[in-house]
Amino acid sequence: MRNFKRHLFSLALLALLMNSCTKERVIGFGVDDAQVYEDKSRKTKKKNDAEFVSILYTNLYQTAISPNQLYKTQNVIYSIGDQDVANEMLLSNYFNTSGITIPLDASMRSDIGTFVINTFKRFYLRYPSEGEKAYFVNYIKNNASVTVEMVYTAFACSEEYQYY
Amino acid sequence: MNRKNFITKSSIALGGGILAPYILPSGRLFAKTGSLKADHVVLVMFAGGVRQQESVLGRYLEDSQGVSGAAGNIMSNLFEGNAPNKKIAYGTSVSGMPNGSEPIPKLLTSSLEKSGLLFPEMTAQSAGHYVGLSTLLTGNSGTNQGLKVRPAYPTIFEYLRKHAGHKATDAWFIGNGIGNSTPLLNSSNHKDYGLAYGGNMFAAPVTFSSWGKEILGNAKTYTRTDLEPMYFMKNFLDQSFALTKDQISSVSNTDEEKTQIKDFIKNVFTKQQAGQLAMPPVTDTGDALNMMYAAEVLREFKPKMLAVNISGVDACHSNFTGYLQNLHRADHITGWLWQYIQNNIPQMSGNTIFIVAPECGRNQNPNPILDQNDWVSYDHSDANALRVWGLMAGKGVPNLRVGGESQPVGRLTDIVPTIADIFGVLDDVNSAGLLDPLAKSLYNRI
Repeated sequence: MRNFKRHLFSLALLALLMNSCTKERVIGFGVDDAQVYEDKSRKTKKKNDAEFVSILYTNLYQTAISPNQLYKTQNVIYSIGDQDVANEMLLSNYFNTSGITIPLDASMRSDIGTFVINTFKRFYLRYPSEGEKAYFVNYIKNNASVTVEMVYTAFACSEEYQYY
Repeated sequence: MNRKNFITKSSIALGGGILAPYILPSGRLFAKTGSLKADHVVLVMFAGGVRQQESVLGRYLEDSQGVSGAAGNIMSNLFEGNAPNKKIAYGTSVSGMPNGSEPIPKLLTSSLEKSGLLFPEMTAQSAGHYVGLSTLLTGNSGTNQGLKVRPAYPTIFEYLRKHAGHKATDAWFIGNGIGNSTPLLNSSNHKDYGLAYGGNMFAAPVTFSSWGKEILGNAKTYTRTDLEPMYFMKNFLDQSFALTKDQISSVSNTDEEKTQIKDFIKNVFTKQQAGQLAMPPVTDTGDALNMMYAAEVLREFKPKMLAVNISGVDACHSNFTGYLQNLHRADHITGWLWQYIQNNIPQMSGNTIFIVAPECGRNQNPNPILDQNDWVSYDHSDANALRVWGLMAGKGVPNLRVGGESQPVGRLTDIVPTIADIFGVLDDVNSAGLLDPLAKSLYNRI
């Protein structure tokens, strides 16, 4: 009787172990890994002054703008009728300060294609189309006087950069 | 294609190629020039709420505070009449003398009234500031006009840019701050006009403040050679993004105009630093600073149309003495601006029409707030606040006084059709159907 109970216990344990250890099933949904980027056709919301200034500042200095500085900048920008003029001057003022994090001109010239892609990602959060990439690569290649600052100014002052 | 067809079609194409660049935004080939009365208009929005009694009627303290024998004109550059000789508190302060006891000397040899056209009793369409200001600029009372939004009806800047073909830097609004809706007055949000035709704008006391200098004053001065590739790349990107008309959010200056504006801003900071800005003899108010920057804009751009706003007299809500002092100073700086145009801008001197009008009046009866002289204060909400005046001077303006206290003539909505009339586009502006139905050119009220 004692042996029977021991065998019964062993059998129950074995059955439990067999049922608990099933082979792990790998389930896939046919989705490939992908980086998510903006699409310009879906940028329909205009950044307000605070968003524009703080995003631009963070982009160029790689650090957040202080609330006091943001407030002052917003007021001054708002006081000028032509917002393009105001933004261009703000940007130019930034370029005249230290602490800006931008690539060197030599780095841009050494690999223009990569520079163009990175610039689109940095400002527009998207990849350039083939046409856009070809235009910028050719333009920069054929114009030796074009600098990183000029390209960044064109992007930061463009209409697409005003939208998200 | 036979020879005749070829010649016909190529002639049309050639003619189109030559003419197309000159077609106005309104679709017309040439702006009307037949009835052009002057090349420039400067509108001083003498705002803040001005009582008839202390301004055009020259009553000083007699009506407002019941001080017998204290009537007199404290706006000698605008109006005719002797100054008060009792209880002088509207001037500047001299050491050892009571506050405001030294009147500012008259600047103009002849008052604007003496040389121009005065409508001493006009009707305002609103007793409020913002509707009053937008009325002065839109020619429509816009009773459904909201605050902190652009005017619902087109401004004079848009009318002139669309129908007279003026470029963006021909149209300027100089606001005296960024509070309320002031910086939105350079353009309406009307679907047929809007920012694409809007005027340029500075809220000058902010743009050229110490903050402005910090944010903009260190901007690089790019050469034309530097700017060309920047604009080239930017324009490529903008074409690719292709905003629709209702998404346009800025005034449409050309690249050349933008460069001129940026250079101007930098130059003002430089002149400011060097103490070289021309200014009225008495510059102790924000209004005076605003007028000073308006003069700089006039000197640089020689715009066809400039409107400048002042508002210091609104102190009257709680400080009647301050109101009188600001009214006297508003007269001083307005006279100075007219004098500055005559003496320092030869392209505009003799070819400009100057228009001055408040945006609303002030109450007949006071509120109970007493100031340092125990004088009562005035708000603006009753029928007396709808009583205003209008003054015009300059090229070809007749010397007349039209109407009087018992016979009101003219409405504030008349200012826009008057300016349209000066530039020869009154028919186009009327045809747009967006003016106050009772508005008329002041030339047609004479």
